[in-house]
Amino acid sequence: MFKHNLKYNLKTLYKNKTLIFWTYLFPIILGTFFYLAFHDIEKNETFKAIPIAIIENEEWQKNNIWQSTIKSLSEEKDNKVFNTTYKNITEAKKDLEKGDIIGYVLLEENTPKITIKTNGTSATILKSIIEEINSKINIIEDYIELKVKEKISIEGYENIDKINYEEIAREALGMLEIENNIKDITSDNMSYTMIEYYTLIAMAALYGGILGMVSLNKCLANMGSIGKRVSISPTKKGTIILSSAVSSYIAQIIGIALLFLYTIFVLKVDYGTNLALVILLALIGSLTGLSMGIALSSILKTNENTKLGIIIAITMAGCFLSGMMGITMKYVIDKNVPIINMLNPAALITDGFYSLYRYDTLNRYWINIISLLIITSILILISIKALRRNKYDSI
Amino acid sequence: MIVFKTFLRIVKKCIFPIILYTVILVLFSSINISTEDNNMNFTASKPDIYIINNDKYEGITKSLIDYMSANSNIIELKDTKEAIDDAIFYRDVNFIMEIPVNFNEEYLKGQELEIKIETTGDYPSVQAKNLLNRYLSTARIYQHLNLNEEDLIKKVNATLENKVNIEITSGLDTSALTKTATYYNFLNYAFLAGSIYVICLVLSSFKNENIKKRTLISSMKINRFNRNLLLSNSLFAFILWLIYVILSFILVGESMFSMHGLIYIINSFVFAICTLCIAFLLGNTIKNKDAINGIINVIALGSSFLCGAFVPMEYLPKSVLNMAHILPSYYYIKNNNLISTLETINLINLKQIILNMLILLIFASIFIVITNIITRKTRN
Repeated sequence: MFKHNLKYNLKTLYKNKTLIFWTYLFPIILGTFFYLAFHDIEKNETFKAIPIAIIENEEWQKNNIWQSTIKSLSEEKDNKVFNTTYKNITEAKKDLEKGDIIGYVLLEENTPKITIKTNGTSATILKSIIEEINSKINIIEDYIELKVKEKISIEGYENIDKINYEEIAREALGMLEIENNIKDITSDNMSYTMIEYYTLIAMAALYGGILGMVSLNKCLANMGSIGKRVSISPTKKGTIILSSAVSSYIAQIIGIALLFLYTIFVLKVDYGTNLALVILLALIGSLTGLSMGIALSSILKTNENTKLGIIIAITMAGCFLSGMMGITMKYVIDKNVPIINMLNPAALITDGFYSLYRYDTLNRYWINIISLLIITSILILISIKALRRNKYDSI
Repeated sequence: MIVFKTFLRIVKKCIFPIILYTVILVLFSSINISTEDNNMNFTASKPDIYIINNDKYEGITKSLIDYMSANSNIIELKDTKEAIDDAIFYRDVNFIMEIPVNFNEEYLKGQELEIKIETTGDYPSVQAKNLLNRYLSTARIYQHLNLNEEDLIKKVNATLENKVNIEITSGLDTSALTKTATYYNFLNYAFLAGSIYVICLVLSSFKNENIKKRTLISSMKINRFNRNLLLSNSLFAFILWLIYVILSFILVGESMFSMHGLIYIINSFVFAICTLCIAFLLGNTIKNKDAINGIINVIALGSSFLCGAFVPMEYLPKSVLNMAHILPSYYYIKNNNLISTLETINLINLKQIILNMLILLIFASIFIVITNIITRKTRN
């Protein structure tokens, strides 16, 4: 009987097109939209050389320090800062108006003047670098002055003619160009748009609850004639419900597997290196979704459409809190009211994938898995309590 | 009247999704609307940074931290590795720097200890790295001059205070207008989903075999019936549009009471007309009531994602934007973005905006023609 019901329940599930759309197709379509919209966003946010113009007047052409510094900042290399064009003032104004450049620099009476169109990070970077170059001249003057004083105090006034000013200036300039002792230890796994795909898997896992709900409705006498027919059959209720649940779980796992294959091979989502743990998380997440569907279906005494609406609403609210509609949402909740996401299965699934992707240690992952298992067991207990010993005076 | 009454009864039944879309709209736009002021004076953008200081807060270390704090926003975090890792991953901070033990002491002896940094690689992080580099380069020079600690810090600070004149040409309050554009861009999703959902549901309810027969044999002329149905649907779309416009005044505020605001409103009205026509087309083609939800989600989400309602247009890949040209939402959102950069309002500047509105109206008329062809065919 177990096998028989399992087989036919699977067949019924696959015949229901709306169901298959929401559980199989919709996550894949949504994932494709995410991919189209987000796959360039990180590349666009990465720093690219800022387009600026230099007003090439006589004063500029005479000034070596300015010329050489701007030139070295605009050279094609990894840390290129400016994309510099040399213009006269009317051309530069036109370019600024059109938005081709962020700003232009005019050197007059040894002081630079910057003109920008609007405030912003690029404008701030431009200003701060021009200030840095401008202060170089002060620094070198200071350096020469202090160095000369030092030499005089050691060697006395006699050797004052021998002081090589140019060499001291070169020394100072050289020192300014030494690389600072900074080490960038940023990890490679910094792609925050991955969270979007993790919430997608969480959504698909929880949408699996719809499958559980539909299957269970077929066993409930108050949900329609098939339910009545099944309830009065001589088969044990436990066998029927268990086989329905198992068949929904199978259908759900197939859906998740398809989604995984699609996200890994087509959308190139990175789930970290530990594939076994990724699969374990997906299996447990789906189980939570299934038990949520069954629990809601057994407690709520209402029609199928309302039950469907409630499962979708709970899932979407959960995904919203885990960052599906704005990645920072999850972080804000985790930082300020962590308890909400500890009880939210969608956030637990998302966070599980995130910890596999981002961290080398697995503590956080196991905490997520254990929380999911606890939530699942509570939901199953609720369902058992609601489904046992049902009696109907009239239906 | 009877048609309108029935219409209202159906609308009442599906009021929940409309409230849901509106709540999402309000939530999304209030989260994403930042309150940055923009004016004629230069205001430096400050990167968000976090400093881990393993040294004592004194001497060069103190001076470095003070300089970084003055030019960036220091973000408060829990002092655990996990909290810091999460903060940089979710871009709560752009830049993390770790000052090693004995940094100050060794520095004065002429030994520069290594500072570890983590960056997000975006513009603010480059700016933060610049600040750090500038401080270290400047300090190195004076350190080589064998100054004592106090003089060294004084000199470094004086040099870093060097300021350059900067002038801003545009007087437009772009941040307020961008806020408005964000709201109206997101409206693309809420309005499309809300109005198509209701109109499709109403039309498909009236198309139910029995109800259709009942309407046909009634004394009401079929033309009048159709006209009433059309009017009720248009009225619904109009009211929904009006609610969203009023909401924009509440959420965005001041900048709506301007010429720019008026153009935003006109633009959304043109889009509302176009949406109405899309809804009519779908309502007349979709036969299965269960399929409505799926189709709406795919259309509303699809055109919102592809045309830049959620992610700003400049962040979308070129290929996606090229593809989006076939969708009406593209022209609506493009207009919203254009309005936010409009400096002076005159006919030349408005040309592109008016052209986009015309394209929306052409889309609308194409949808009407297709609807007519389809309904004529099915009637036979």
